[in-house]
Amino acid sequence: MTTSTTLRPDDLRSVRDALLDTAGTVSITGSGTAADWAGPLGPVDAVLDTTALTGVLTHNPGDMTVSVLAGTPLRTLAEELASHGQHVSFDAARVADGATVGGLVATADAGPAALVFGSLRDLVIGVTMVLADGTVSRSGGHVIKNVAGYDLAKLLHGSYGTLGVLVEVVLRLHPVPKRSATLVVDCSLDEAREHAASLLGGQYEPAALEWISDDGHGQLIVRIDGTADAVSGRLQRLREVLGSGARDASDTGPDAGPDSGADSGADPWARHAALVRGAPGLAVLRIGAKPSLLPGLITDLRADTVTAGLGTGVATVALDPEAVADAHALVHAAGGTSVLRTRPPGSDVPAWGPPPSALAVLKAVKNEFDPLGRFGPGRFAPWLVTPHDAEGSR
Amino acid sequence: MALDGGVRQAFERVLDPADVISNPVKCRAYECDGLTGYRVVPELVLLPRDAAQVAAAVRVCAEHRVPFVARGAGTGLSGGALPVADGVVISLARLKRVLEVDPVNRRAVVEPGVTNLEITAAAAPHGLYYAPDPSSQQVCTIGGNVAENSGGAHCLKYGFTTNHVLSFEVVLPDGSVVTLGTDTGEQAGPDLRGVFLGSEGTLGITTKIVVRLLRTPESVRTLLADFPSVAAAGDVVSDIVAAGIVPAAVEMMDTLAIEAAEEAVHAGYTVGVPAALVVELDGPVEECDVQFEQVKEICDRHGCTRLHIAGSPEERAAIWRGRKAAFAAVGRISPDYFVQDGVVPRTRLAEVLGRIADMGADAGIRVANVFHAGDGNLHPLVLYSAAAGETERAEKLSGQIAELCVELGGSLSGEHGIGTDKACSMPKMFSRDDLAVMARVRSAFDPQGICNPGKVLPTPRLCGERPGKYKPHPLEEAGVIERL
Ligand SMILES: Cc1cc2nc3c(=O)[nH]c(=O)nc-3n(C[C@H](O)[C@H](O)[C@H](O)COP(=O)(O)OP(=O)(O)OC[C@H]3O[C@@H](n4cnc5c(N)ncnc54)[C@H](O)[C@@H]3O)c2cc1C
Repeated sequence: MTTSTTLRPDDLRSVRDALLDTAGTVSITGSGTAADWAGPLGPVDAVLDTTALTGVLTHNPGDMTVSVLAGTPLRTLAEELASHGQHVSFDAARVADGATVGGLVATADAGPAALVFGSLRDLVIGVTMVLADGTVSRSGGHVIKNVAGYDLAKLLHGSYGTLGVLVEVVLRLHPVPKRSATLVVDCSLDEAREHAASLLGGQYEPAALEWISDDGHGQLIVRIDGTADAVSGRLQRLREVLGSGARDASDTGPDAGPDSGADSGADPWARHAALVRGAPGLAVLRIGAKPSLLPGLITDLRADTVTAGLGTGVATVALDPEAVADAHALVHAAGGTSVLRTRPPGSDVPAWGPPPSALAVLKAVKNEFDPLGRFGPGRFAPWLVTPHDAEGSR
Repeated sequence: MALDGGVRQAFERVLDPADVISNPVKCRAYECDGLTGYRVVPELVLLPRDAAQVAAAVRVCAEHRVPFVARGAGTGLSGGALPVADGVVISLARLKRVLEVDPVNRRAVVEPGVTNLEITAAAAPHGLYYAPDPSSQQVCTIGGNVAENSGGAHCLKYGFTTNHVLSFEVVLPDGSVVTLGTDTGEQAGPDLRGVFLGSEGTLGITTKIVVRLLRTPESVRTLLADFPSVAAAGDVVSDIVAAGIVPAAVEMMDTLAIEAAEEAVHAGYTVGVPAALVVELDGPVEECDVQFEQVKEICDRHGCTRLHIAGSPEERAAIWRGRKAAFAAVGRISPDYFVQDGVVPRTRLAEVLGRIADMGADAGIRVANVFHAGDGNLHPLVLYSAAAGETERAEKLSGQIAELCVELGGSLSGEHGIGTDKACSMPKMFSRDDLAVMARVRSAFDPQGICNPGKVLPTPRLCGERPGKYKPHPLEEAGVIERL
């Protein structure tokens, strides 16, 4: 099939009907900010566009939870929550590009704030999804503490559109820090690693801690979140440990300090986000490894650009497409995980490294949720070969 | 149908025969968990000594289709570790080594039989600790914590077990061994780790667990405050949250719970006050000090009748001793009790407590309340006397309280799990399709249905006709959510 139908449901019922009324393979899309992540999508009969599924369903500020339709861009949600002094403690680079809540969950994305708050798997407290056969399924709920039943939101986290359509997502919220201040230090990865060790080994509680590198120019970025006065004192302690190379880079929030003499014009976090997005002609690989192993891995990978979470162990590197296969192998040898984000057009780059030990469970879950292999053919190739990927082989 | 001798011999081939217990008197020690109302004496109890033996034992179960139930310390409060008839119990009590504490990467690798507190003890020399702190932490095992996704008083700020466990080795119900999760928050594919967490022993047996460790906070400030009413204490909680403060813990106790705790441990609570709050803040000194002043002011604003600030680690420990003793202490004011574990949205705390009081009065049964106020997780203690023939009434009230929480937009359970106890209430919270999809997950992990069968999901055998009946969720009735 060469042409595919586009379905654009705007509520739970129409999502279900769209799946019941069509047959064949379906690609679930949000705002398209990660369309070329993971394995290349095979030909599909229909595209299920979630971008009409928008809006807040319930937000009770006192409970610090919000439920939204999954096609809502997170930045739109953030604007609505801001007036209540609340936010989703999540800062993946794609948020600024209009990524939807559902898309962010499905791709298991995360940003520097993961150091303290984890990824969306730690913040989603309930979901409603529709399976390929039209079954509507809820799990979790609207309260932050809840152990009733299996937590299906976790299965959808990182599922890349292969298990179900997220329709409603309930999120835990946090107060927006009164003040967020960032220091930067120009330094090599080795120096950054030492700074990170002292910061994480002491009482500094950084909210984010990343090293970035571009054109051989490395920089450590450290953010502190807190109340106005306390942040001033904590920044001072931070400067003492980072030494004279530390500069004030940004100071934001409702109570940003008067001493917010951010001297460098460019916001280092904007630069960080740009590097996460990658560069033309290069492949972007997202890797995770024990924090102590990460700097060594990054050195061995000889990446063009790097953002490295020295506390989280999660890095994003831009590489020559030719180098990706070896990079997967290197990361895997260090016990880490890797996934391709951004495949330069036309290149045939492996999306995944060696399969996880639990591949049989992954296959069994896929088979239970989507036995016909309707959703997202190709996303987990070569790990998952669905009936549609291998016509007639089953 | 009893297990045939061949099965026992098969276990004796893969374990030391002395570790295969069939003596009914010895097996009786495993007949229940912390929910002692349910008892089943297992046919056999297996005491493997390492992960390879666990896997070998499970392979025998798979081959002979023998149902098995994993067991940690048996402190579970929902009958999760209740043995199944004609099945075996696999105890993880002997897998109790701390394999590694890695201060650089701030994590520890432990076997499932290690207790929650032993992890913190092993980490403490490095200035680190394991954050989730169930009140049972001295005895409950990390394997049980992973199975239950256990919480604790400090989970409001720091999150639950699921937020602190990076990965684990699992023996699947077919006896194969896999790792779920990774060394970081980064995943390659769906978060199978996350779905296993809180699955109450129904998807496999963990044999090695990697947990995150946090740095012991620089400063901890704790206060105990008395209030003229539960509602006033509830308003304090709301105002703390509205001020943008995320306390490490906010716990509330009512008159009965305070009375019981004082009688048991003399921790310095005021007997007779309608409500007491324990509020703890932690973090960098500067932050803690600023926010602690705010909290004190909020307490005053709501008519706090006594404010006691812990002036030393000993005083802090005493406040917590009172809170943590409350559960067991109600034994002093009542011969028997049921504990419930429902959750409501925090903003509905006052309402739910009022309704519980009314329901208790109607039933002629006292209910003591001690709970995690910050996250709306109630622990109503339904006090009764079995000797006086109150069991049935108390049990009914207890179930009604859990279901009331669902009606108010909450959950049947915040941390104790569904297990055997609340499986038949699941249809109050989830539709038939929701439960059927959960069953699909279960069958992906356990196609033979031998891993802790009969727990979590309702079965017609256990629940009679009840699974068919579903009451619309209140949000659904209000048209906020729809179920098709
Ligand atoms: C006084 C008291 C206070 C408590 N306070 C709290 C509290 O504050 N917060 C809280 O969350 N809970 C609390 N609990 C409940 C209980 O302690 C927790 O649920 C705990 O996690 C159970 O651990 P356990 O080792 O005793 O597990 P068990 O009771 O032995 O088992 C619990 C479940 O886990 C499964 N299981 C055990 N080990 C494994 C394994 N290795 N692999 C797979 N499945 C396994 C069992 O099959 C069972 O379903 C309390 C209990 C008591 C008695």
